[in-house]
Amino acid sequence: MSKSAIRTWAAAGLAVAVAATSLYVPEASAHGEKSQQAFLRMRTLHWYDLNWSTDKLRVNEKMTVSGKIHVFKNWPETTANPEHSPAFLNIGIPGPVFTRVESYIGGQFVPRSVNLELGKNYTFKVVLQARRPGRWHMHTMMNVEAAGPIIGPGKWVQIDGTMADYKHVLTTLTGNTVDIEKVGTAGIWGWSFFWIFFGFAWIGYWVAKPVFVPRYMARKAGDESIVSPTDVKVGLGFMVATLIITWVGYNAGNSANPITIPLQAGVIGTMEPIPEGAPTVEAKVEQATYRVPGRSVILKVRVNNRGITPVQVAEFETAGIRFLNGSVYKDETNYPPQLLAPEGLSVDDNSPILPGQSKVITLTGTDAAWENERIADVIYDPDSRFGGLLFFVDSSGFRSMAPVGGPLLPRFT
Amino acid sequence: MSSLSPTVFSKAEIIQASRTADWLILVLSFLVFCGGFHVHAMLTMGDWDFWTDWKDRRLWVTVTPIMCITFPAAVQYWMWDKLRLPLGATFTILGLLFGEWVNRYFNFWGWTYFPINFVWAATLVPGAIILDVILLWSKSFLITAVIGGLAFGLIFYPGNWSMLAVLHQPVEYNGMVMTIADIQGYHYVRTGTPEYIRFVEKGTLRTFGKDVVPVSAFFSGFICILIYFIWHFFGRWYSTTRFIDQY
Repeated sequence: MSKSAIRTWAAAGLAVAVAATSLYVPEASAHGEKSQQAFLRMRTLHWYDLNWSTDKLRVNEKMTVSGKIHVFKNWPETTANPEHSPAFLNIGIPGPVFTRVESYIGGQFVPRSVNLELGKNYTFKVVLQARRPGRWHMHTMMNVEAAGPIIGPGKWVQIDGTMADYKHVLTTLTGNTVDIEKVGTAGIWGWSFFWIFFGFAWIGYWVAKPVFVPRYMARKAGDESIVSPTDVKVGLGFMVATLIITWVGYNAGNSANPITIPLQAGVIGTMEPIPEGAPTVEAKVEQATYRVPGRSVILKVRVNNRGITPVQVAEFETAGIRFLNGSVYKDETNYPPQLLAPEGLSVDDNSPILPGQSKVITLTGTDAAWENERIADVIYDPDSRFGGLLFFVDSSGFRSMAPVGGPLLPRFT
Repeated sequence: MSSLSPTVFSKAEIIQASRTADWLILVLSFLVFCGGFHVHAMLTMGDWDFWTDWKDRRLWVTVTPIMCITFPAAVQYWMWDKLRLPLGATFTILGLLFGEWVNRYFNFWGWTYFPINFVWAATLVPGAIILDVILLWSKSFLITAVIGGLAFGLIFYPGNWSMLAVLHQPVEYNGMVMTIADIQGYHYVRTGTPEYIRFVEKGTLRTFGKDVVPVSAFFSGFICILIYFIWHFFGRWYSTTRFIDQY
């Protein structure tokens, strides 16, 4: 191949490489939550009464994500559950665009992993400090060991400002005030690169002389003079210097930080759930079908009102998607619109369920979200069962919640 | 010019060609060792070295030297046996550190904005220099394995304490005691690295009270001796030339 042909092909290859990597740069807009199997999102954790304190803030300002978690009792047996495996209250964001400054379950600070009981409800709160400007998709999220991340609803949040302004100052128990973003950085650069230069000095001593061909030939000839007594003395000098510098560095670390403790680790324990009395409203699914062409789930539910006030069906939630009975309940929490069907739930008998009354009602939850959020895929799961939460409301606005679930029959026509 | 004509003629040209070969081989082998060693290190001790909240007194101290004496042992054999060059350990460790720092600076900081004081690479240069000098002084792979391997494990923690100590200061944070390193791990959100994945401060060294580092370092040193033996055989196998004299 001629030189000009090589140049042409090289230029063409470079142009293709540059074009492929720089001309098309799509925005990563989510965290793959739709890829999580539907049963995982429907029958593990249900996040409800969620609140994002803001969706626009500046660097260093704080926001809170709070709400409640229902740990589904009929958790899939194929997936590790938080009653027996450690779980960690996380937040789904693209790297440290926010820093997590506080997180609580049931009012307890949870910087480490915990256990949660199946069938219980927990309050949670995560406080985040804005760090990197941009528009970020933020999810509620819980990691469960051996099950992986279980992602809840996500919302877009805008951060303005400059990352260089980010600061988080702490005072240690020994009285030192440190900015966690910068503490120790100078020492890390200094010591790391000192040792790198020192290592290169050792290599430089040897490669200042001919390296490969003459030494290989001398070695083949059995000539051991290529390692001189001076080389050994220089080597011992390097070793002694290494030991002394290491000793000095170790003592410098100790004298600058006379009190240190080991890393803190271990599961904190089982969290305190929301205190519950006897449920005021009970719901049991008698039949559930998913009609594929209509993108709707039809639930035949027996409801027992054991409370003292009449209630109406307000909402059906599954996998973070909320189907509201629009004639009874409106969302005022600025919930992510792609996960909200404000008129998505119809009830065949919308009359209040009286105290002590037990009746069967048919609920129809219809929305494109079944397809868009890939929840409809549950009918193709090896265990086609669904899970969700039914919410009831009385005339004073008090909400009662009842978990529901069971087999889901598909209808393809 | 015939294709069989010599390309160098004078002594000066021979020296020049030899030095050119030196630099080409040095640079290329540095990059090769950098790539191979870096992949090996990330796969075998990755998180322990990625994050400060994994740099503990037991597992980090134990695992890192054991996993990092591998390439130095193999390359030491090649460089010493074939060239009498006692720099295989330092050469490969610098290759590893080059790869690690490129990764930490451009990926961890430049791309995902984790601060350097959270994701710095531990230094292994002191142990590497000792390993090289012991080989130079003793001219024996056996002594290098026993003394050098042990020293490689022992010096790792004190060699890094100058950088780590400041991050182990205690802090009261929302009613709990945590080190600054713990708070970094809590603070800088890693969605794929939840807290329970951290394999730190686990084990059965309870009877040693708070002084578990020397025990971990000695254990690491002993295993380094064994690993040195195994990997120096890799160096022997890969630097042995055999010719087939019959078809």
